[in-house]
Amino acid sequence: MPGRFERWGIGGHYGRVRAPLGAPQVMDHIRVIDQTQVMAGPTCAMLLADLGADVIKVEPPGGETTRRIEPEIAPGVSAAFLAVNRNKRGMTLDLKQQRGVDIFMRLVGTADVLIENYRPGVAKRLGVGYDTLASSNPRLVYCSISGFGQTGPYASRGGYDLIAQGMSGIMSVTGHEGGPPVKVGVPITDLGAALFGVFGILCALRARRITGRGQFVDTSLFEAGVALSVWEATEYWYTGETPQRLGTGHRMNAPYQAFRASDGHFTVGASNERLWPRFASLLGLDRLLDDPRFADVGARVRNRPALEREIESVTATKPRSYWLERCEALGIPAGPIYSVPEALTDAHAVARGMAKEVDHPEAGRVKTLGNPVKMSATPPTMRSAAPPLGHDNTAILTELGYGDTEIRELAREGVI
Amino acid sequence: MKALHGVRVVDFTQAMAAPFCTMNLADMGADVIKIEPPGEGEPTRRLGAAEKNGHSATFMALNRNKRSLTADLKRPEGVAIVRRLVETADVFVQNYRPGVADRLGLGWDQLSAINPLLVYCSISGFGGTGPYASRGGYDLIAQGMSGIISVTGEESGAPAKAGIPVSDLACGLYGAYGILAALEHRDRTGQGQLVDTSLLEAAMALTVWEATEYWTTGRTPRAVGSAHRFAAPYQAIRASDGYFTVGANNDKLYEAFCRAIDRLDLLDDSRFKTNAERVRNRAELIREIELTTVGFSRATWLERLASEGVPCGPINSYPETLSDPHTLAREMVVDLVHPGAGEVKALGIPVKLSDTPGAVDRPAPLCGEHTTEILTELGYSEAEQESFRARGVV
Repeated sequence: MPGRFERWGIGGHYGRVRAPLGAPQVMDHIRVIDQTQVMAGPTCAMLLADLGADVIKVEPPGGETTRRIEPEIAPGVSAAFLAVNRNKRGMTLDLKQQRGVDIFMRLVGTADVLIENYRPGVAKRLGVGYDTLASSNPRLVYCSISGFGQTGPYASRGGYDLIAQGMSGIMSVTGHEGGPPVKVGVPITDLGAALFGVFGILCALRARRITGRGQFVDTSLFEAGVALSVWEATEYWYTGETPQRLGTGHRMNAPYQAFRASDGHFTVGASNERLWPRFASLLGLDRLLDDPRFADVGARVRNRPALEREIESVTATKPRSYWLERCEALGIPAGPIYSVPEALTDAHAVARGMAKEVDHPEAGRVKTLGNPVKMSATPPTMRSAAPPLGHDNTAILTELGYGDTEIRELAREGVI
Repeated sequence: MKALHGVRVVDFTQAMAAPFCTMNLADMGADVIKIEPPGEGEPTRRLGAAEKNGHSATFMALNRNKRSLTADLKRPEGVAIVRRLVETADVFVQNYRPGVADRLGLGWDQLSAINPLLVYCSISGFGGTGPYASRGGYDLIAQGMSGIISVTGEESGAPAKAGIPVSDLACGLYGAYGILAALEHRDRTGQGQLVDTSLLEAAMALTVWEATEYWTTGRTPRAVGSAHRFAAPYQAIRASDGYFTVGANNDKLYEAFCRAIDRLDLLDDSRFKTNAERVRNRAELIREIELTTVGFSRATWLERLASEGVPCGPINSYPETLSDPHTLAREMVVDLVHPGAGEVKALGIPVKLSDTPGAVDRPAPLCGEHTTEILTELGYSEAEQESFRARGVV
């Protein structure tokens, strides 16, 4: 198995090498219009760009709002913008001018996918709503990512990851009982919506092979948050209990959490009937195996605080490295709690190509996260950094059949 | 027609990430066939923390819309059945530690040899290569090693993980993304391939803002409670009767927010002029804001903020979320009848397709519920099936 990967450079040095010469790009026949901003929409489009799709980011002449988010990686270059717009081309277009809409419609005629994340109704007001675009290009797959979806009582509300984490229940189960509200540290509903969006788009492209038609794909941060609440909905529906906050614990498994060592915390998952006796023996706590409070997973979950006390009475006497080495030797899943810098420089993360570099015309070599999916024949690639504002205006307008004089005039009039 | 109509997936998976991956494919119309050991079925069927009439709730939550085939993979005949099934399949998904499937004769090399068009997806803790490839991994471990735990929770509190298993779930979705991309390539070229992803990599791919902060500023990202590392005010705010969330992450929304809470004086405060200054002076900003917001209830603020167009919301418990009118209007709760457990609820599909929508048509299968049906489809005679059953092969 490793041999196959090395062929495509997914070995230890993947972080340094470019895509193998001639490796096919699975989506290189697909053009995507990325009319999105901030995180969910741009990430969705970036996932297609990583697969080789020609993703054209269309921004208003002033640039999308993320370009103004600090920190800057070079003067006027937002690091946040770079993080979710790699591998794309960029063009500017003023959709408030008719000529801007005309150019946009010509671009739509050449596209397979369009992704937008306006509040419901805004695209229609701009004259670029789904019905208009679908009638001019019936093969277009049109994906809307919004706070709450296109229908339902909250459709018109603005929504951010924070709002969706709060309303989907995710915040109610994150953190510690009695503490102030905390959210998942990473914007999980943004990223979940991006993933469900790209999943929906790929499904729609597959359906198009058979039907010949595009369609409307509608997802939202709120629904992504609900759909990711599998264990929590299950706990509520089957036990009638309101899922609570558990720190690092798991609602269906124990022991499965962070435990205190003498120099900090480490994580262990030893909840099943194979691993639990092994872990108990490692700790010298074989007597717990006969303790009715911990007889099976259900009992251990119910008696989690007592279990935690028993386990920490032992783990707190030795450093993390001691426990991690022994867990690894016994095949018990366990790990450190890394900071982000530690995670990004860990030997395994580097070997799996999770920290890559691309060239930016203004900021030079910049780092970007790798794609977590490795594919033997058509690996995702890192080809370019996010485009500077309007970087590909001339190239794209030329492809669409506009002449040099016309392009200069469009620039003069602020259409691009 | 559903979008993935005609796609057959062999689901040799357990626990969460990979079953979630194949469930998403099943929701969109793929024929997902779960391979389980005869008798007890996959271990998740015995996860006892929540159940109904002896049926594991966790198993039912992740295996709807699938069929179940039992086969004893410790015996050559059981493996032969799965291999015959693989000849008819488009996708094979497994989530055992690297090497386990190979030992059973169900590795990528072995299966691509009998079906070169096969898309083979391996989901593991750490991926098929690299120094930790052979380690077992769970969501918790991946959250710890990706840095997610380090940025979740109170600023100086005890460690907390994302309350939901984000590494498992994201990994399932990344797997589905890789599988669909690989099917596209196969349809164009006739070439299957190996798709390899892991909980750790999925978790790391979620740390977009955090990696960016580190790479750009050199600072180690910290847990910031409910706040955002690049925007303020964007967090939970205290009212007289609890907390509500507000996201006023640009100048226009900040102005609207100050109007809604009747604190226009904050707009002239030199500490809070720009978003960057508001992030730097977040603690003081929130102190100022809460001086006002603790005077009235959540409902009051949510109403006033909504009327100013400022994104805001309550912090719901799951009973509240799952009965919210918007949740129901978006069909995020589905009623099913399970042959053993009776009436059960399931989560709906978060991505709506207008022309070929997915659907939650049927509950999780009983163990081996479709064994006869599938063996017959594969061309096994009644006598052969009888012999398999008599000897416990299926």
